[in-house]
Amino acid sequence: MSALRAAAFPREPVRARALAGTACVFPDLAEYGHAVFGADPVRLEAQAADPLDRFRLVAPVFVPRRLAKLIDLAREPTYRDVELESVVGGFRSAMPVYVSAFGSTRTMSGDLGLAASRQAGVLGIPLVIGENVMPVNGYGRLGGDAEGTLVGRIRAYAAHVPDGTGGVVVQQSTEDADAEVWNCAYSDPNVQGLLESGRVAFELKVGQGAKPGLGGMTVLDEVAAARLAGAFAIDRPFGSANDMVLRSSSPGTFTEEILRQQVRLMRNNFPRARVWVKLPPARDVRAAAMAAWEAGADAVTVDGAEGGTGWAPLAFLQHVGLPLGECLRRIGEHPSCLLVSGRIWEGARAAKCLALGASAVGLGRAALIALDADAEMGLIHLVECLALELAMIVSALGKYHVAELSPEDVWLPGE
Amino acid sequence: MVLEQSAGRPVPAVPREHLSSPVTKSVLTIQHHMLIAARGFLRDRGFTEMLAPIIGPVTDPGARGAKQVDVDYYGHRYKLMTSAILYKQASLMAFDRIFCVAPNVRMEPLETASTSRHLAEFHQIDVEVAGASQDEIMLLAEELVRHVVRHVMAEVPGELERLGRDTSAFAGLLSGPFGRLTHASAVADLADMGHDQNPAAEIDWAAEELLSRKAGKPFFITDYPKGSRGFYDRESREAPGRLRNFDLLAPEGYGELCSGSEREHDYAVIIARMRETGENPAKYGWYLEMVREGIPGGAGFGLGLERFTRYIAGLDFVWQASAYPKIPGVPLP
Repeated sequence: MSALRAAAFPREPVRARALAGTACVFPDLAEYGHAVFGADPVRLEAQAADPLDRFRLVAPVFVPRRLAKLIDLAREPTYRDVELESVVGGFRSAMPVYVSAFGSTRTMSGDLGLAASRQAGVLGIPLVIGENVMPVNGYGRLGGDAEGTLVGRIRAYAAHVPDGTGGVVVQQSTEDADAEVWNCAYSDPNVQGLLESGRVAFELKVGQGAKPGLGGMTVLDEVAAARLAGAFAIDRPFGSANDMVLRSSSPGTFTEEILRQQVRLMRNNFPRARVWVKLPPARDVRAAAMAAWEAGADAVTVDGAEGGTGWAPLAFLQHVGLPLGECLRRIGEHPSCLLVSGRIWEGARAAKCLALGASAVGLGRAALIALDADAEMGLIHLVECLALELAMIVSALGKYHVAELSPEDVWLPGE
Repeated sequence: MVLEQSAGRPVPAVPREHLSSPVTKSVLTIQHHMLIAARGFLRDRGFTEMLAPIIGPVTDPGARGAKQVDVDYYGHRYKLMTSAILYKQASLMAFDRIFCVAPNVRMEPLETASTSRHLAEFHQIDVEVAGASQDEIMLLAEELVRHVVRHVMAEVPGELERLGRDTSAFAGLLSGPFGRLTHASAVADLADMGHDQNPAAEIDWAAEELLSRKAGKPFFITDYPKGSRGFYDRESREAPGRLRNFDLLAPEGYGELCSGSEREHDYAVIIARMRETGENPAKYGWYLEMVREGIPGGAGFGLGLERFTRYIAGLDFVWQASAYPKIPGVPLP
């Protein structure tokens, strides 16, 4: 068992869930009957910095929808009657959850990438494959080892996903245009089954949470860097004696017109694929999201500043970008599918996002930590915990479909 | 035609049978005369024939959904030409009127294997004219097509007869100007026909066939929306969002023969359009350097030779117009 570190993330509870599953949704069973429980004021205090943490979910006494469900079922409904099946960016998904892109971050190369694909498939939830998996790990069609490549991950997903459910989302950003990631996937025989059943999306990566305004960054050794030198900027911030170098992508230049036309071109070139657009937690996030939706994007994904799995300058991790809660507030009412990610690992934060306008939530770091804890079942266990909590919360709010969550279900102290 | 059935669609016989088939011989004879006619027509109008490059550091990114073929060029990633467009614009530095018969390779999406009109390897009669407008280049394409059809009918009527081609189908083409409709009105016509065409995109393949079946002679669709074509098609300054371009479609369901446009030649506009089409300008270094120093404005088109042959010869499938056809996704010699 390795020990993927995640200092800025509740790593231990995620690992516990990955290893033990839904038992971790509750306090330690051994304490049952021997201890009293309640909210932890220290933890509540610590949460104050994150707008989403400051929100509380608040259940009503009067529950007309529970009455409707009672009439429908002819018995009192419980949380087990909550429907979680959702439409996520044009795909039917077992629940309003998807696995975010991890990119080619070293922690994600190789086996964990395949494990993520397999388990997302089993769960019947969409899987996003990071923009630079193909430029860095290869496509995997001609010869060699397909493991960890784009094709390897798509195959692993397709082999496990139930018919009619889920979907695979292939990311591309400005500099990957050189590698024609989308063209490659769209014309590939391995992808045809998913394409024909409407379960492929392409995600235009406009930016990301951990380093809004910067492009992708990876640390590589000199040998790997030399192979990529033509396509990416290579820098040596770690000193000339160090053989590790920094590979940076450009963030890409966008105006409203550039974004609009890129979305249109995607719809033009790939009529059988869904179009997703991933935005950074930028101050004009609403304008960008609206431009993408109006141009016909099936989903806009927003990564809060607390999100991200990859290498980023400390200044960006600590000081740049809007937290997810503020992104949701700025976007407000909107016409189409909004997907969000940023420190999501359990059901309450997911429920708050859904109540505040998201259609689904993405698991990034949490999925990585879970897979690192248990490569066979970690992600499945983690998502089962989240689904159980979500069902309990939705039921407590007097609702029986997860899509019914709305702003009335949350309270922000002071408002 | 000797056909095998594979995945429910006819595919070419093995090369020996395909090449020795009387049908293939008639088709290739017609194609030979088409090339003679096209070269004569263009030569008489002052065009210089140039030889198009086969590989380069970049190629035309404007082929919808098709993958480019990478070539390892001494360790540099080069591309087989999907079209010669960038080199056609460059060639106007040498001559004002050029053409080439250029090979193109595009790994088309697999769904195109069933359209009857896509090949992964094909040729275009590529024409480029300095200073020409959208109208002028459309007229040239129309005259070229009419001249070639007339030439084939006069020179090798026996081959058309052997193929059972009813040449009365060319009456409209020979007698008057080709039809014209804008992309916007094509979208409206399609809506009337019950076909849901995305108004911001290329006319889809099914829609193209619907329009083509309804027509009695070749017709142009003009003014495609930005977002449906490459960065080199010039955007109208008067009607932003509309491109000064066209497709030429054959009647009888044969569909698209030719695409063309006025060309963008303003450096800053080209950079912005590259971003709008999702391209990374860094890889177009040689081209942008040339554009920055100034290239002639103009217009041009590429006329698909195998598709044009299919139309003239009245063939069911475009691969019948190739000696060594490559159907998308099918490994053929």
